[in-house]
Amino acid sequence: MALGGAQTHVVRATLLVALAALLEVTLAPLLTFGWVAPRFLILGVVVAVADLRDLQALLLGFFGGILTDALSGGLFGVGALGGVLAAAISLRIRVVRRKVGAGPFAAQAVAVAVVVYDLLGLFAPILAGQDGPPVATYLAGGVVPDALLNALLAYLVGDRILKLMTVKEEKWT
Amino acid sequence: MALITLCVASLVLFTIYVKEDDSGPLHTVQLGAAEVLRPVRGLFGLATSPFSAASERVEGALDASEKKELEARALEYEEGAAEAARLRDENERLRELLDGERPSFTYSPLARVVAPVGGQLTERVVINVGSDHGVRPEQPVVVGNNTLIGRTTERVTPNTAEVLLVTDQNFAAGVRILPPKASQGETDEESTTAGESTSGESAAEDASAASEREPDFGADSHGEGLLRTSWEGYLGVDYVDLNADAEQGDFVVTSGRAGGRELLFPPGLLVGTVESVSSQDINQYKNIVVAPAAEADDLQDVRVIVDW
Repeated sequence: MALGGAQTHVVRATLLVALAALLEVTLAPLLTFGWVAPRFLILGVVVAVADLRDLQALLLGFFGGILTDALSGGLFGVGALGGVLAAAISLRIRVVRRKVGAGPFAAQAVAVAVVVYDLLGLFAPILAGQDGPPVATYLAGGVVPDALLNALLAYLVGDRILKLMTVKEEKWT
Repeated sequence: MALITLCVASLVLFTIYVKEDDSGPLHTVQLGAAEVLRPVRGLFGLATSPFSAASERVEGALDASEKKELEARALEYEEGAAEAARLRDENERLRELLDGERPSFTYSPLARVVAPVGGQLTERVVINVGSDHGVRPEQPVVVGNNTLIGRTTERVTPNTAEVLLVTDQNFAAGVRILPPKASQGETDEESTTAGESTSGESAAEDASAASEREPDFGADSHGEGLLRTSWEGYLGVDYVDLNADAEQGDFVVTSGRAGGRELLFPPGLLVGTVESVSSQDINQYKNIVVAPAAEADDLQDVRVIVDW
């Protein structure tokens, strides 16, 4: 039965990541303010993989990123890499969850993951031979406020989403 | 290990995506997904339209400096385009001047009209070549393809010269009236006949065709006379016999000679075209009004024919 509980958890986490990817490509562009926008994918991945095993978490992050890449018109692979790294960051930071609580944990993890994701978004077009924004301006006016906004968002909703993801495992009788 | 593998997989996808063309598999997936998600995006777009409008207004306010910069850049481009157009016109004028050079003539260097000369009844300009460039009084001044626009006066300094324009009442030149080249004349007649019922849309084409016509120097003259501007302000040809064949559209060119006398100007310089021809029984000569080939107001670069 313990196996059955874990499966349910993974399915919920997968659904959450899929929903986050969908929102990332449909709703986030409409809520963009300059370089600042809600990063639903990062938030979804960070929260969804918090209680998963390492491999599951990374695969789920990769899946979410691939889904985002496929649904959006952006550079393929950027979302996938961002999703994997967001999952890795979540796994790395989850040790502080018991100390600081779910909200601050989600805020920290999302802030770091958004910074990484924004940097990927900055350098990927340059690697692809496209024009990118001025680095200093983007870092000050894009990355930092973006990280702060999404950290706030994660702080406010992370705890509730984590509760939704948690499933009580049935004990062996 | 899994992390590295997935990162590498992401980078491979990125590389494939960048390398493939728009019909590649990854691009095709994105296109298909975009089509599927279009209704969802439309729905979200409708729901978030108030936020989008507010966001655009705020961004517009914050981007005022960028707007100013773009406006300044647009102004700069407009100035550049205007400068390019001016240079193109100047290039065409200079090319026409050079193309119209006749081997038997000696020209002064290119001269620029630097100032008009005031005076209620005078039509004169000053050009920036003078005696240092071989210019002497009473030499013909031309533009374009040897179109006569005047002659130098006695006021020639080392670096400037005053030019008496053909439209000045003190200007006079012996001229011949020549028909256009035969094929052009026929074409014009045909087009005139066929185009009587057409509207003004062909006016520009007609004007363009007229400017491209040339006098037929080999044809018999349609009359000879003296070119000068009347006190009423009309440029005309005086002393043309009543039995001369001059007609509207004929060319007026300098004759160079009158009987056995060599005149002030070399033969064959275009002055203008016959605008109207009329005659009265009590007059001994025809009244011929000429439209000058070059407008005094448009003069910029000219040349003086210093020898021929």
